[in-house]
This record gives sequence, C-alpha cells and structure tokens, in this order.
Amino acid sequence: MPSATLRLFQNGRIASADSKELVAADLLVDGTGTIVAVGTGLTVPVGAEVIDCAGSVLVPGMFDVHVHAREPGQEHKETLATCSAAALRGGVTGVVLMPDTSPPVDTGNLVKSARDLIAELSAIPMLQSGCLTKGREGKEMAGFSGMASRGVPMLTDADRAVPCPDLLRRCMEYARDFDLLVTSHCDTPALTKAGAINEGRVSYRFGLPGIPAISQEIAIDRDIRVAQHTGAKLHLQQISTERGLQSVRCAKEAGTLVTCEVSPHHLVLTEQDIRDYNTHFKFNPPLRPLADVEALVAGFIDGSIEVLACDHAPHTEFEKSSEFGTAPFGAAGLETTVPLMFDRFIRKGVFGWDLLIERYSAAPRRLVGLAPVAIAEGARAEFFVFDPEGETPVTRETMKTKSPVSPFLGETLAGKVRGTALGAAWHPQG
Amino acid sequence: MSESGDNVREAILSPEEISAGVADLARQIAYRCAGDEVAFVGIYTRGVTLASRVAEALKGQGLHYPLGTLDISLYRDDFDNRGSDLPTLESSDIPFGLDGIRVILFDEVIFTGRTIRAALDGLMDYGRPAKIELAVLVDRGHREIPIQPDYVAKRIGTTRDQYVKVRFREDDGGEEGVFLETPRKVPAA
Amino acid sequence: MRDLKPRKDLLDIEGLELPEIEYVLSNAVPFKQLFQRSVKKVPTLRGKTVLNLFYEPSTRTSSSFEVAANRMSADVTNFTVSSSSVVKGESLLDTIETLQAMRSDYIVIRHQAAGVPDIVAKHTGASVINAGDGYHAHPTQALLDAMTFREVCPDYQGRKMVIVGDVLHSRVARSTSTLFHKLGIEVGVLGPGTLIPAGRHEFIRRFRSWDEVFDWKPDAVYLLRVQLERQEGMFFPSIAEYHKMYGMNTERLVRMRQIGAYLMHPGPVNRGVEITDEAMRYERSLISTQVENGIAVRMAVLHWLKPETDTD
Repeated sequence: MPSATLRLFQNGRIASADSKELVAADLLVDGTGTIVAVGTGLTVPVGAEVIDCAGSVLVPGMFDVHVHAREPGQEHKETLATCSAAALRGGVTGVVLMPDTSPPVDTGNLVKSARDLIAELSAIPMLQSGCLTKGREGKEMAGFSGMASRGVPMLTDADRAVPCPDLLRRCMEYARDFDLLVTSHCDTPALTKAGAINEGRVSYRFGLPGIPAISQEIAIDRDIRVAQHTGAKLHLQQISTERGLQSVRCAKEAGTLVTCEVSPHHLVLTEQDIRDYNTHFKFNPPLRPLADVEALVAGFIDGSIEVLACDHAPHTEFEKSSEFGTAPFGAAGLETTVPLMFDRFIRKGVFGWDLLIERYSAAPRRLVGLAPVAIAEGARAEFFVFDPEGETPVTRETMKTKSPVSPFLGETLAGKVRGTALGAAWHPQG
Repeated sequence: MSESGDNVREAILSPEEISAGVADLARQIAYRCAGDEVAFVGIYTRGVTLASRVAEALKGQGLHYPLGTLDISLYRDDFDNRGSDLPTLESSDIPFGLDGIRVILFDEVIFTGRTIRAALDGLMDYGRPAKIELAVLVDRGHREIPIQPDYVAKRIGTTRDQYVKVRFREDDGGEEGVFLETPRKVPAA
Repeated sequence: MRDLKPRKDLLDIEGLELPEIEYVLSNAVPFKQLFQRSVKKVPTLRGKTVLNLFYEPSTRTSSSFEVAANRMSADVTNFTVSSSSVVKGESLLDTIETLQAMRSDYIVIRHQAAGVPDIVAKHTGASVINAGDGYHAHPTQALLDAMTFREVCPDYQGRKMVIVGDVLHSRVARSTSTLFHKLGIEVGVLGPGTLIPAGRHEFIRRFRSWDEVFDWKPDAVYLLRVQLERQEGMFFPSIAEYHKMYGMNTERLVRMRQIGAYLMHPGPVNRGVEITDEAMRYERSLISTQVENGIAVRMAVLHWLKPETDTD
C-alpha cells in the first residue's frame, strides 16, 4: 500500500541480469519510491519500516509481454484488478495486454479507453497492444497510425494468425513506417482445424483430433520470410517445437529482425503429462513431445529464445469443465511463472537468476522499448523479495486470478514471492 | 483333529463313509422313483460331482438317468455383496426337456436353503417339471427359508458359525472327505 | 475368480489387465447359452437401473445394451440427446449432476467427444460403460470381436487379423487392435495412407494392397465402416475409388475362400462401399455372430462391474 514512510529491506541478496553472483545488501526505499541507499549494514533510519530479507533474494520486477486480462468484455474470466493482483503475487511488475478484448482494440480511441481503464483499475503498469487487422478478423488492416500515436508497444491479432499472406505482407510494410513491432501467433488454421492436442501418439491414444507441429512451423517460416521481404520487426509468440526454433536461429543468422518467446508450460510440460482428459493442460500451441521441450530449454539458455512470456489466458473453471475437444485453450500463468522457474530450473542449478531476469525482465522490456529495471541507488523501486525456502501452493484458494485454472493446480512449488515493491508501494504476499 | 488357518478342523466323513452315503442316496432314489421318468441336475461345483457319482451307482442297477448341470450364480440373492471374489460363471447344461418329468436336484450340503431357492428359480427357467426333489450328502441344519431335502445321506448337528466342507477328489486336487471347521475362539480376557 | 480387483467402470481397453479380459470373455459364454433357453432372462440385476445415454444416434449399440440389461432383469431408461452437450449454459458437469439425481446404477454412454465417459465416471458412483467416445474407444465392441474371433479360432494366439479402412478415425480399430494385441493375436491394417496412423502403433503392420494382405494369410479380415459423412474429398478421391482399392468384392472373396479367412464388420455396413452384396452372403461371414455376441459380452460386462451406489 502506498505510504510516505521509509522502508529498509534488510539482509537480502540482490540478483541482476548481469551477474551470476547474488550481492548481499540492505536497500533503503524512500517515500517517493526511489532506492536511496544500497549497501551492507545500513543503519535503520528513525521511523523506517524494516523488512527482514535474511535468506531472501531481491529480484528486479518481471515483465510479461503476453497477457490476456479479459477486461473489458469478459470480466467473468478476469479483470484488470484480479490480473494485476496475480501479477504482483508472481513478482511481475509490468505486462503487455493482448488486444483480444470485447471489443478488440483496433483503433486509437480504443487504445485510449483501454489505457484509461488500466490507470483506474490496475495496480501495476500495463501496456495495451493493438490489433493487426480490424476486429482480429484477418480481412482488413486496423488503424495503425491512431494506435501508434496512443503508444501501442506491438500489433498482434492475439491467438489468431493473419491467414492471408498478402494481407500480412501489407500489414508489415505499413507497420514498418511507424516502427511498430509485428507480433505473430504462429499457426496455420487450415492445418490446426479442430485440433486439441499435439498430433502424434498421445492424440491417437486419447482419440482426440491433433494439431500437427507443421501447423506452427509453416507459420513461423512464412512470417519470417514476409518479415525478411518487408524489413519489418517481427516477434514470434510461443515457439513450441525444435524445428520452429531452428527456423528462428537461421533467420537470426541471416540478420532478420526477429525475436521469439517461449511459455513456461512449454519448458516444463510434455504431451505425456496430459492425463485423464484434464483440460487445464489444453494449450495452443499444444504441449509437445520431450525432444521439443529439451530443445526449447537449450534455446532458452543459449539465447535463441530471448523472451519468457506466460500467455496468461484465464478461462473460468466452468468453461474449462467441458469436453477436452471443445474446452478453450489456455490457463492462468502470471502468479506461477517465477516460482515454477525457480522450482524446475534455478533450484536445480540448470540456470541462475541472472538468466531468468534477462529473459523475463530485461529482454521483454527492451522488446517494447522500455529500459530494463535494476536494483541500484537512484533507481525507482521495482523488485520483489523471493524466499527460496518458502513454498507456493497452487490452489483455487491461494490463486489471485479470477479463474484459478492451471496445469500446476494441486502442486506446491518451491520458493515464494514474499512481496513486491513497486515505487513507493509495497505489496506483501500472504 | 487338525488346524486349518484359524479354524479347528475335524473329519466327520471318511472317503469310505462318503461312498456309503452315495450308495445310500442311490438306494433311496431307486426305491422311491421306480417307474418314473427321472433326470438329475447338479448344482455347480460339487453338486454336479455328487449327482454324477449317484448316477454312476444307479447304472450298476440298470437305471440310466440323464444328468444336467446348473450354475446358480446369476440367481443368487447376495449379488451386491460380492467382494473381490468375483464369480466365474459356468455353463449350465441341461440337455433334456424338463417339462413333465421328475427332477432331482443335487447339492453337497444344505445349510440356509438360499442356494436351493436360487437353484429352483434357475431350474424353472428351463421348463416345468412334474416334480422337483432335492438330494444332499449332508444336512447341517440352520434353514433360513422353508426348503427341506428329500434324500439325505448324513445329518449332522452344527453351530451357526461352523463350516461344513465337502472335498471330492475330482474337484479338490485328490482330497476326499467331509470336514467340520470351527472358528478358533479368542479366549475371554 | 479370486483376486480380481473390483472395477467400477469400463472406459477403454488399454487399462484392462489380461485376467480381467479373460474373466469377461469366459463369462460371456454362459450368458450366450442363455439365449438358447425359452426363458432368456436371469434375475441377476433385478431392481438395478441402467441409463442408456446416447449423444450420438446408434440404434444398434443402444439396442444391444438394452437387450443385455433386460435379459438380466435390470430396468432400462433410454436417453438420446440429438444435439451436442455443449448447449450454452449447461456444462458436462451440470448434466452429470442431473444424472446423479436419477440414481442409476449403470450409465452406458456414447458421445462424439473423446474423454466424456472418463469425466462422467469420475463424478458419479454409477458404473460407467463407454459405448464409444469420439475417435477414442469402444471397449465392448473390442470384447465382442475377441469373443467372436475366439469362437472360430479357439487356438487364437499367434493367429492373424487385418483391419481394413479408416483406422485413423476409428475407435473400433483402436480398441479392437489393442485388445487383439493383448491377447497375442497379430494385427495388420490396410487402407489409404491418409487414414492409417503412421508410426503410432508399433505393433501393427501396414499393408498397401490386398495382394500383400492375402500373402500374409490372415485368419480374419475386419472391414471398417466408411464414414461417408467424414468424406470431404480430403482423405481419398471418391467412394468409387475406395471401393475399387479397398472394398470386399467378388474377386477378393475368391481369395478369402482360398485362405479360409473369416469376414468381420462392426456394422452397420455400407453396401457397395466397403462391401458388396455378394460378400454379405459369404459363408464365413461372422457379422451376425458379432451382433449376438455383443449382447452376451455386454451382459458379462454388466455382471462384472461393481457400481459404488450399493447401499450395503
């Protein structure tokens, strides 16, 4: 809660994108939300609130470029308030909102009204992205100049690929003049059809219609080629296969302006984890075989994939309780991503906090033209306190999102975000 | 007296006494059924064995009675109480018409009478005999329904919690005899 | 049979243990013998209720279950839902709650979406029998196929069967081939490359022509029904071409006779598509035996499953 007092974060260890080492230090934040002192053994100023961070890590706030907040239009799934509460529980201090609200954000005026709503209702900064095509219908170009003047960080049809390569080409050519980032959901609808899970042994065993890997891979190849042809800046969402990743690597070697992201569930779950027709494991792109997951983790570490983004896509438990084939794709992710990455990778030494901060805090901010945040004297406070000995239970009761739908439901993840500092505000997590 | 699991086991009929019992049943049947059209139906498993032994004995006297078999699992009244001991069904085989004939049903032991009740229901789904009678090797009492045997080789007094186990060499890996098993009493504290 | 774990539901073949399969198949034999009696009914399930819940029309399967339940003296309610369950506002769980209130002991369910019987089973104490869900499973069909095959080939282990047609979209092919594999019967498939799941069933051999099939000398040929409604010119060029390439015709019937192969089909048949009129009269056709055995197997399944609705 905002307050005018001084706050001393005592005996923590500071993590950064630049160093594997954690630096032991106290941190003093003043009433304006500025970090005024960093150092060991800082004296406690009179009247300061002391937060004991012994054993905990202070981590720069995360930034998620792939979030569906559902408001306006689908407030039964999620609202800006519940979405930002979930973000704070997960150590996320900034997000990019997808434009697939009702109505879809496809004009400058709608961007403006989305920004007004965010200012009123969200506890964290949120950037509103805009549609590539009017109404996300893939037929006509949306109003880029109006949206650019309202500061959209990217254009995307969110969960829909632009089906016509000619229209995509024109969108990229037009976006280039505004220096706008084009973000693609990589999918070939004619191949995906009514698919529900990855096409292969598992889909055959379950008797469910499959989504072939080539559905995403062809779209990646197409979008890269169009970007090369037009010179537009391209960001690819949710790479999920080894072949798709290879295409991205080749494009980068050829000097293409392309970046890509991976979702946490594609780094830790395989299609084999789908059990009992549990729709909480239904994603698009779908969970893939182990070989793909291993390739993605390798690409995440070597930097071929520069951004981690959770695709926070809440749907109500009721909506998810239908048959697997007809249930909507996606789950909530904002509050589980950091503990999940700690539980599955950092704790086991697969990579360190530095890599996670680079992929989930620094690189995503750079992608949308923001400066990375650091924990340093003179900087604005934007960090969270993470207790590696704590636990994050993933339950309907503990989740802050309005739709507690997650493949990790019922698990207790190692580590816990104890609280998130954002400017002068300190949001302790129960 | 020997011990079997938690039960105290006592032999009550020797193999020789069983043979005598079978002969006795054959004698009674031959005497009372003289001149009638008779067929035997044995209840799975040991009722079938008993019926075939009695039929064999009667062949020696020139009496040839056809033999059928009946599995009563589908007619039992305790279907809901089946536990992990799932009933394996046998093929009931009654290769003759029952209408108008005298049928003798065989079971090795009569206890509560419920098995015979189920057998009667099953039998009547095959036809309408003129008469149905019941032959058993052992009657141990404790009837729960009004059904009584017509031919009995041996009557023994038992308590409700005892078990009477008939062992036929054809069905029980060569073992032959009738045993009374009494649950071991836990001494009063 | 001792030490078989009581089972509440029959959802697919993969989850079945061999002793359970043997148990059901051997019990089906005495059930079939009941059909010879003038009184075909037994009182085993007197007072029990069976709900036949069909979200996809199938007169055959639903009648087969109805006859099976009637012959065991159960009360049967038929409930056919023509539209999809995804009616706005009512979720599958809402439907299940309604079903719970009906207090059925057994729910026989057919649904166009794979996995629905699993979900229903998880939320009800009634025994759920999957009567076909999407492309997923049709376990009682597999059991009746196995019973039929074993009647004509009592020494069934090492024998061979070829499944012909749309294996990719067939729950029958999936369940039957899995069961036959478990029983030690070799399975092959014949069909266009678009309808054969490549590399997803390592134990199944693939044939590309009838010549290859007959060279292998299968004991039975199992024709799948061609789903005409699924044909959009996407999987093969025309019905005529399918018939020419994969149908059972006069010439192939001659080869069938030469090797003494039996003919099976899950029904209903498309005459002139996967089978000709002449082939329907083939002396080694087991198609009507499959129908009869379907009732016996379903009785054995009802007898085997143990609902958790009992009040003992």
